[in-house]
Amino acid sequence: MSYYEQRIPPVRDQRLQLADSFSGCAGELLECQKEGCLMRKSRSFWQTNACQMSLTLMMAATVAGSVIVMHAPGGCGAQLLAINVQSNKGRAQRGQPPAPLNWISTDLSEADVIGGGERKLEAAIAYADREFRPEIIFVVSTCAPNIIGDDVAEVVERAKSTAAAKVVGLHCPGFKSRVVASAYDAFYHGLLRDIPFEPEAWKDYVPLDPSDPRYEMEQAKENYQKAHTVNLWNATSIGYQDEDEIKRLLSALGLNTRIFAEYASLDEFRQISRAALNISMCNVHDDYMLKFLEEKYGMPYYIAGMPIGFSETRRWLGGIAARFGLEKEAARLADHEEKLAAEAIKPYLPALQGKRVLISGGVVRAGTEAAALAELGMEIIGVKAYHYDENAQPIFEELAAKLPAVHVSVSNQAFELTHQIRTLKPDLVVTHSGTHGLVAKLGAPSVQLFSADGAFFGYGGFYQLMRKIHFALGNVNYQERLAGHVRQPYKDWYWSADTYSCIKEES
Amino acid sequence: MTETPFHDKPRTSCALGGALAAISALPDVVPIIHAATGCGGNLMNSVAFGAGYLGSSYCSGASAPTSAVTETEIVFGGAERLREQIASTLKLIEGKLYLVATGCMTEMIGDDAGGAASEFAEAGEPVLAISTPSFKGDCYTGYEILLDGIFNRWLRKAGAADPRLINVFGVVPGYDPFFRGDLEEIERIGARLGLKVNTFFSPTQTFENITAAPEAALNVILSRTRCRGFAERFEEKHGVPWWATDLPVGPEATDAFIRELAAKLGIDGAERVVAAENEWYYRYFERTADSYADGELRFYSVTVTNSNYALPLNKYLYRELGWTPAEIFVTDRLEEARREDLLAGFAELPVKPRFVSGSQEIARSIDQGRPVYRGQRYFDALTPLYIVGSTLEKQMALRRGAKYLAVSFPAYDRAIVAGGYAGYRGGLRLYEDLIGSFMSAKG
Ligand code: SF4
Repeated sequence: MSYYEQRIPPVRDQRLQLADSFSGCAGELLECQKEGCLMRKSRSFWQTNACQMSLTLMMAATVAGSVIVMHAPGGCGAQLLAINVQSNKGRAQRGQPPAPLNWISTDLSEADVIGGGERKLEAAIAYADREFRPEIIFVVSTCAPNIIGDDVAEVVERAKSTAAAKVVGLHCPGFKSRVVASAYDAFYHGLLRDIPFEPEAWKDYVPLDPSDPRYEMEQAKENYQKAHTVNLWNATSIGYQDEDEIKRLLSALGLNTRIFAEYASLDEFRQISRAALNISMCNVHDDYMLKFLEEKYGMPYYIAGMPIGFSETRRWLGGIAARFGLEKEAARLADHEEKLAAEAIKPYLPALQGKRVLISGGVVRAGTEAAALAELGMEIIGVKAYHYDENAQPIFEELAAKLPAVHVSVSNQAFELTHQIRTLKPDLVVTHSGTHGLVAKLGAPSVQLFSADGAFFGYGGFYQLMRKIHFALGNVNYQERLAGHVRQPYKDWYWSADTYSCIKEES
Repeated sequence: MTETPFHDKPRTSCALGGALAAISALPDVVPIIHAATGCGGNLMNSVAFGAGYLGSSYCSGASAPTSAVTETEIVFGGAERLREQIASTLKLIEGKLYLVATGCMTEMIGDDAGGAASEFAEAGEPVLAISTPSFKGDCYTGYEILLDGIFNRWLRKAGAADPRLINVFGVVPGYDPFFRGDLEEIERIGARLGLKVNTFFSPTQTFENITAAPEAALNVILSRTRCRGFAERFEEKHGVPWWATDLPVGPEATDAFIRELAAKLGIDGAERVVAAENEWYYRYFERTADSYADGELRFYSVTVTNSNYALPLNKYLYRELGWTPAEIFVTDRLEEARREDLLAGFAELPVKPRFVSGSQEIARSIDQGRPVYRGQRYFDALTPLYIVGSTLEKQMALRRGAKYLAVSFPAYDRAIVAGGYAGYRGGLRLYEDLIGSFMSAKG
């Protein structure tokens, strides 16, 4: 049975080779993957991070007209407060009214843990349906119900016939994977099983009438439209400005772009199958969904890195253009855009060139931004990827070719980041959101590796990134003052030991 | 009011969340979270954000050690992984006490975290395990479980009793978002009475405040609903009596607090402190009267807070500002006996609290029987209305055209740093915030 037919999605650990602990250079990592040692690596010391459930919530919370039912103990949904602020910002950027995120928790008690929580979940779904009248109810299955053996998928199945809303199961227990990126699959699995992707006659369109003399002309028009429409897949880290920049470039090539799945509504989801190509903007986000769409609707897909920096954007755009016979146009567009952007970036470069940069965060971002900044003359002194899975292999091949001597690690661990900053003393840290406080306390200036509020992609985005770096380097007094007064929790021996001395290989 | 078996946008987290928020404010205490990799991050992020952007400290947030159990441990048991994590934490992290706190999944599979911690404790390491699964309770329970672990299980009495030393408990880090400012004001007032005050969770405190706790003359519990069992066990173990009262907010409540505290300890000087503090307070407060009274800034009040803040806040609004309470919602889950304790405190107030947490339900009960004004000529609307609650009340306040301030968790439309509402200084601060929140519309 294919994954898509199963009620519960696999975690990435089941369907991909992946890793969360490594230190070396890109070539060594690829070697280690081949030999299999990469998957056996772990740590003797761990610090807390996120889980696939929290990332799943970040995506679900953006879907218009949805309500979230957490089947969980009271703590699991705690982050939704913060998530709601972000999703409201995202809504506002897209011209949608802010909406309070409605969510309820089954708040599993000791009695539920012993006796099972299915009845409570049923009641919660019914309450959410009645109380909030949503279009979609996301039922989020966390660690606890998966340990006590609640059949959440069955409850979701049953609720489909009683609820007015579409009921979507999101199965994402944190303990099933240390790799947060499993969340993409969990979210997409719910959508692809429980949300219709096909337009509905009379609701979304009036069927063409074969006896109409214009029938063939209309049909040709429709086919032409479909042949020039693409779906662009965003997810959590990709913000509105980046969507907009890519849309701008694709529309210059004559392509009509629609954006999924964040911030889309039930009505919009039905348009998914009416496009010529599904385009991913990150190797580790969308393969689960795009392969499904290929299998089910015969839609081709495009997954080829991330359009950050001049050469990557050119290559990425060129790859899409090739699918439509537009290679020449794409190359000329890139020439034109690069010229404008290079001109705009130029004043910043003298202050940036030669600066030593440490990059940390999502694997594709970190690798791609490293290459892009190196291209402009910044010195990359380390690339830290939060996780590795085989979808990211092309990124490391690229790094092995472009920055063969640069240290790379697979790490989302605060102590290792701390150690590298203390010992390497980078001029700038480009890092994942949520870590900038830690970096500032070490005295280093930093900019976001990504931000749903910022711009990074294409030409406009790259300009913004360079401008931001220039700005951040302009005054580092805050970090220097702060670092002088903050105590680190690590013992002294660690500073003279190898950063990655806690990584071990299991037999 | 019917109790739903599930929670609409809970204003709490789990026992682990409460314990971690509290540990993050304890000097030199290091958590070791025995759970999956995400639990700690998610829970601490929520407080780092929802408590007025509290952020992270020494070894909290993304720095907090965890056993990061995965499916393998869930199937085969996580005790071995935990032992490895305790050992590596002791090796890498500087601390004076290491607290293993369990999450629900490791409890459900029956890991013996206590046993693992004891092995290290027997070898002389300061390691202690507390059991904080979500199904044992919410963040408030987690705070009490933590206190019980440190003070009633781990601590031994060292020196002789000190008649001038008191301990303060009951203010819950993070979930009482002003905990630091509030505790510091209690410290300041105590110092004016010639007392040493252990509050444990404010930035003035060191690990020595924790170890000195059994020598105190009195445990002051600033909560009618929290820490009862803890205080009783503390008394049993260390012989320190306890006194449960409210967090004093504003001059009248603080006058009473000072007098009662002095009486309990048999010390004098209360009247001198009360007089001096009132003198200070009113030299500031009198000057606000021109804008306050002239602006007719009296309101109907609706408060939505946890049980710790409900009474102090309403007393202040009713007695110090002369507002008219319309509704009082208490949002934390309480046993029947604790509800009774809380209700007793409301005897002098014209309105009794209702125990509701869901913001949907709260909005509905405010609307019930109080339609919004739509241009009728003779219409006794609930205006002017001031809603003092959490950020979850903001949309409702906007909809009703009410003034609004977030003082309760989650408060994420404001930054809270050193501020607090306790005492005299806090009373003025609360005034500034309540009135300042709508003054900002001018200009
Ligand atoms: S790891 Fe499991 S229990 Fe912990 S927050 Fe994530 S889903 Fe909840």
